Amino acid sequence: MKKNPPPQHHITQLLAEWSDGNQAALDELYPLVYDELHRLARRYMSRERKGHTLQTTALINEAYVRLVDQRNVHWANRSHFFAISAQIMRRILIDHARRHAYAKRGGGAQQVSLEEAAAVTPDRSLELIRLDEAIKSLSEMDPRRGQVVELRYFGGLNNEEIAGVLNVSENTVTRDWNMARAWLYQQLTGSGAN
Amino acid sequence: MTPERWQQVSRIFKSAISLDGEARAQYVAGQCGVDESLRNEVEKLIESHQRASDEKFIEGVAAEDGAALIIADDKSGEQQSALNKGQQFGSYVILGALGAGGMGEVYLAKDSRLDRTIALKVLSPDVSSDKRRMQRFRQEAKVASSLNQPNILTIFEFGEVDGLTFLATEYIDGQTLRDYLHGNRLKLGEILDITIQVLAALDAAHEAHIVHRDIKPENVMIRRRDHVVKVLDFGLAKLTEKRSSVLTDHDADSEAATAVKTAPGLMMGTIHYMSPEQAQSHAIDERTDIWSTGVMVYEMVTGAIPFKGATSSHTIVQILEKDPVPLSQRAKVPAELERIVLKAMAKSPDDRYQTAKDMLIDLRSLKRHMDVDAEILRTSSPTTARATVATDETPHQPDKSRVVIYALIAMAVVTAAIFGINIWRSSRTRTNPPTQPPAAPVVERSLTYWITVQKFRNGRPYQQPFTQPGEMIFEADYQIRVNIRSPQSGYLYVLNEGPPDASAQPEFVVVFPSSTANNGSAFLAAEQLVQIPKQTWLEFDTQQGTEKLWLVFSENAVPELEAVKTFANRETRGLITDPAQNKVVQNFLTTHSATKPAYDRNATLTTLKAPGKLLVYAVPLEHH
Repeated sequence: MKKNPPPQHHITQLLAEWSDGNQAALDELYPLVYDELHRLARRYMSRERKGHTLQTTALINEAYVRLVDQRNVHWANRSHFFAISAQIMRRILIDHARRHAYAKRGGGAQQVSLEEAAAVTPDRSLELIRLDEAIKSLSEMDPRRGQVVELRYFGGLNNEEIAGVLNVSENTVTRDWNMARAWLYQQLTGSGAN
Repeated sequence: MTPERWQQVSRIFKSAISLDGEARAQYVAGQCGVDESLRNEVEKLIESHQRASDEKFIEGVAAEDGAALIIADDKSGEQQSALNKGQQFGSYVILGALGAGGMGEVYLAKDSRLDRTIALKVLSPDVSSDKRRMQRFRQEAKVASSLNQPNILTIFEFGEVDGLTFLATEYIDGQTLRDYLHGNRLKLGEILDITIQVLAALDAAHEAHIVHRDIKPENVMIRRRDHVVKVLDFGLAKLTEKRSSVLTDHDADSEAATAVKTAPGLMMGTIHYMSPEQAQSHAIDERTDIWSTGVMVYEMVTGAIPFKGATSSHTIVQILEKDPVPLSQRAKVPAELERIVLKAMAKSPDDRYQTAKDMLIDLRSLKRHMDVDAEILRTSSPTTARATVATDETPHQPDKSRVVIYALIAMAVVTAAIFGINIWRSSRTRTNPPTQPPAAPVVERSLTYWITVQKFRNGRPYQQPFTQPGEMIFEADYQIRVNIRSPQSGYLYVLNEGPPDASAQPEFVVVFPSSTANNGSAFLAAEQLVQIPKQTWLEFDTQQGTEKLWLVFSENAVPELEAVKTFANRETRGLITDPAQNKVVQNFLTTHSATKPAYDRNATLTTLKAPGKLLVYAVPLEHH
């Protein structure tokens, strides 16, 4: 039972610094959280029985509980943690997708454009990579909508939770999501070529 | 699209999708005016919105799709180590694959330098990439290879080729004891032969301060040609445990107790041979191997594993607390064998054989006195043996016991079986099994408990709470409430003891009564329901392991515990911070937990009953 949580000051401190605007803290935070999430994800994978899916929020929550000293942390830090974790989950999955796609093409002996490869082998890994590219473009035009997608799709957060993280109303999140999703759909299906 | 254009489109889109049909078309037309391309873009986006909704586009969560990728990726990493027949691997030529284990793949290979056939174990990359583990593994492999004992699998070489770490060992043409047990009913002489050889191997290893840690039928090979026994995987056991703990545990030093059951495909069942100290993640030494050998003998004799629960946590509880069903209730065996096995399987390492050699000597001398070809008759019903015992109440003389035993064995197998039970009765130090009712239950304490579990996600309650009657494995984000009630009035104390830490004094937290619960009073009226905590939930800390929730229910106030009630305030969260008090509590609990209450569990609750005026019981709470 809760009595002696292990020292987690380092990460707590970094989170606090980052939310105070210190970008360097993020650079230090990122690999720590990446490792933790990746390890947890693999552990979940190896443990889950067939037919079970990975619960991203459960995963991030576990990472949070493990990494962050909750006695000395403000709610805002928790939001920050979820934001960064969603970003990192995205990175983990895309890393895997890239490696997967690379391996499938025989170790990259010849480089094929994503579109060509997708035409030949409809593969989840390629879809993920393309989606990731599209989200990048979206974020360039509209960072907040990009983040809504990231939090929801990669972080597994619901609209209410996203509203908390971004400090906007839930209605705004719903509207952002509709717009972002429609645009991404258009990009990926080619139904709205510019 | 420029950001300005994007803003424009998004503003119109946002309002448009809240409108229907004609109203929407009019609104879009009105907003876009003569700007055809703007209208085109907005309309396309609206259409995409509808199709995306219909197709549930990215409605799920990436990880659900990505999960498969992570697994596939990890698997392709493992396959890199696969070697093919005929392939040259350093100075070895691969002859074929023998199988795959927890740590890598095993091949049959020929050493071209010495022209001998060997077994080649190639460690999987995720095992060999951990430098710290490899360092230790290398060291132990080195020591193990120096053992040079005929019952220990000889290690020829430990090295690396093309970045793959391998172990070259003697190749044994034979089968594991596990497989051997499947096809054969072993004779007593055979059981003794196998065990004596295992102990000879252990004796040599222990001399060199190597603890095997994973003695089980899978790790004992019987050579086809001469039935020579070889013990496998010295020094590897440690590595196997560490590997599984990487998959399952946060804490690098938390041991295999949790690891074994959660890592799929990693030799499930290892847990059955674990000693109590191993199951509790306590420090272990040579005597853990004695325990496991005892379990193995028990299995060879009876065909059954002594401790087997519905789940691994039930098994652990049994290992820690239950006496095994006596050998003599399951098979007709010499009483001396019963004594030896019980001594090997004493719960406390101090009560066991202290060395493998001692156990070996006893087995050898038993073998000398035995009709070695005697078949072991397994009795199907333990009650028949029990019934016979009831007629024989001859007091047992410990000093003369062995002499008497041998005489009796010579006389008749049946007599030996009877005597065996007497030995068991007089030599056991533990209390009656819970199934045996006390002789005269004049005074009895009774207490009922059940546990309510609330799952949490994102720090918020998730799904409906559910109740269950006893122990389960709690996940990190489960929080619990303990409910207690008794038909009797009395004094109730509830303390939590944290997961065992071999190096430190156990820590106790007073959970009930507290300043907020029951007004600080331990007195409970009959049928009064106690909920701990009443409004909120108990949260587990991040340190994994099995905690004990001590329930003490007494007719009278317990002075030792009354004194520590003062700790149950908010500042220390009930932690008994005073070392002297801590000791008092520890002594009290240890002394009184020797008398285990009988427990009766149904689908919703567990009822404890203890003779006398005091009931002490530890509910194990295992959490990840």
